[in-house]
Amino acid sequence: MPTSLSLLRRRVWAAATLAAFAVGGFAQQAAEEPFWAKGRPKTDTAMKMAPVPAFPIPTAADKLPIAKMKLPPGFKAEVWASGILDARGLREGDKGTVFVSSLFVAGKIYAVVDKGGKREVKTIAEKLFLPNGIEFSKGSLYVATPKDITRYDNIEASLDSPPKPVMVYDKLPGEVPHGWKFIKLGPDGKLYVPIGAPCNICDPSADFAKIVKMNLDGSGVETVAVGVRNTVGFDFDPKDGSLWFTNNGRDWLSEDLPNDSLNHVTQPGKQHFGFPYCHQGDFADPEFGWGKNCNDYAKPALLTGPHAGTLGMRFYNGKMFPSQYQGAIFIARHGPWNRSQKYAADIVVAWPDGKGGIAKMEPFLTGLVENNEYLGRPVDVLVMKDGSLLVSDDHNGAIYRISYAK
Amino acid sequence: MKRLGIALLLCAAAGSAAAQVGSYAERFASVCAACHGAQGVSTQALTPTLAGQPSFYAITQLFLFRDGRRDNVVMSAVAKGMSDDDLRGFSEAIAALPAPPPPAAPADPQRFERGAALAQRLHCTACHGADLAGGKQVPRLAGQREDYLLHALQGFRAAKRVGYGPAMTEALAGTTPEQLEDLAHHLAHAGAAGARP
Repeated sequence: MPTSLSLLRRRVWAAATLAAFAVGGFAQQAAEEPFWAKGRPKTDTAMKMAPVPAFPIPTAADKLPIAKMKLPPGFKAEVWASGILDARGLREGDKGTVFVSSLFVAGKIYAVVDKGGKREVKTIAEKLFLPNGIEFSKGSLYVATPKDITRYDNIEASLDSPPKPVMVYDKLPGEVPHGWKFIKLGPDGKLYVPIGAPCNICDPSADFAKIVKMNLDGSGVETVAVGVRNTVGFDFDPKDGSLWFTNNGRDWLSEDLPNDSLNHVTQPGKQHFGFPYCHQGDFADPEFGWGKNCNDYAKPALLTGPHAGTLGMRFYNGKMFPSQYQGAIFIARHGPWNRSQKYAADIVVAWPDGKGGIAKMEPFLTGLVENNEYLGRPVDVLVMKDGSLLVSDDHNGAIYRISYAK
Repeated sequence: MKRLGIALLLCAAAGSAAAQVGSYAERFASVCAACHGAQGVSTQALTPTLAGQPSFYAITQLFLFRDGRRDNVVMSAVAKGMSDDDLRGFSEAIAALPAPPPPAAPADPQRFERGAALAQRLHCTACHGADLAGGKQVPRLAGQREDYLLHALQGFRAAKRVGYGPAMTEALAGTTPEQLEDLAHHLAHAGAAGARP
């Protein structure tokens, strides 16, 4: 069984060989820019912007920006766990284990166990290829990379000697751009899996820019939504089981356009959400939008800000927060990398209007942008069994707990 | 091996010293300068100049050495003995060093121009900046030793050096060994004021 890294190397080799074959002898032909740089204006300001990875050292518990965080009255933030390099996705097991995913800086899956009020962090898998997507179901942990989905059975009973993963599905495209996953089990018992556009902006084949669902053994793949550029967060409405997802808008169009969005799948398998032709429901792409009409595509339920990095989201169904938060959606915004003025890096809360849309959005956890720098960058949220809200922060390698008391 | 022994010895001394903010410039002088040069300007073959490297790049490389994801026998041994505070302290000390001077030897005009055309085609400045000074996680190339640049390019081209991902390997896909030599020559001499032949 080759490791993911060796597979990655092999893939790289294959790519290098293919590229050499393709461009050999055409030395004057322009090579491709990095995928994220495509469409970047050649101005000095834009040319200085690039994605920034998570810092390679977790921030010490006593240096975390708890004192900087602002919350509505009655809410309190505390450090729940620290020293978790590149902490991204959050899922809770049946026995209370919190599983944490990471991306390329760590390439690990962690398990956090509560030991008498102190959290112990165990690494249960490592040297994985962008293992951002995790889900827990019936005792098993599912891990999704850009190329496959594997399953670790009976995981909570074997955190110190995790089992070998079982292959669930190995036919994902494996592209790095927007290839890392957010996965979640739906109320229909299916695993929902996004396949992002392999580019900033392009008209990709039908294999990309969509959300699919499959049985837990990887069979029966069905398309749920198309025209989805890149979702790294979704959840199911507790009222009717429908899917809501966040979407990251295209880069470089301008500082303030287009917005990220929150979207609602009301007709599974039948809706096109616009990419690459129409952004944020009302803005035709300057290149791919010609001849297209935004009214032909599903409109977003909510705009969540330009280049905001809108990621994990969860409906609140816990018992701790005031009643007004029942059924509301908590959404993590990572904060933009390709915008001069940094903002977001926060948790916002959105209230469904009961008619399929969103009534309003309000800031919830703020205070992590200072002097145009990020003090922290939220990635995912998790409603714990006690009703408190966990927030992961890959910038600091930490998890915070938000609780409420009158 | 003698050099490795000295480095290990120095490293052990460094590791036991109390982590004092502000002392890392001195520790750089005693631990790192033996190979990387006083003020981080290297005079040793295949050993990079560290002066002017962004702290984010420096700490990322130290992290990759410590984590066993970047391969160099001396640096892996040195980094293994470093604490998180050491990684932060050394990387900040490196970033505080003045940018390196242009290379002493003038560029070969033909090789420089061939390398310049290649650099443009490969979009080096898309990440490394128009002045090749790097920034955040991206290294400074301006003022780097030519032999080290070539060594690094060869490592990326052969996918032996991966870092976090295949970006550099993909950027160099399709280049020939001779082209990498021209590119290293160009990068070593570019970006420095007055270096253009």
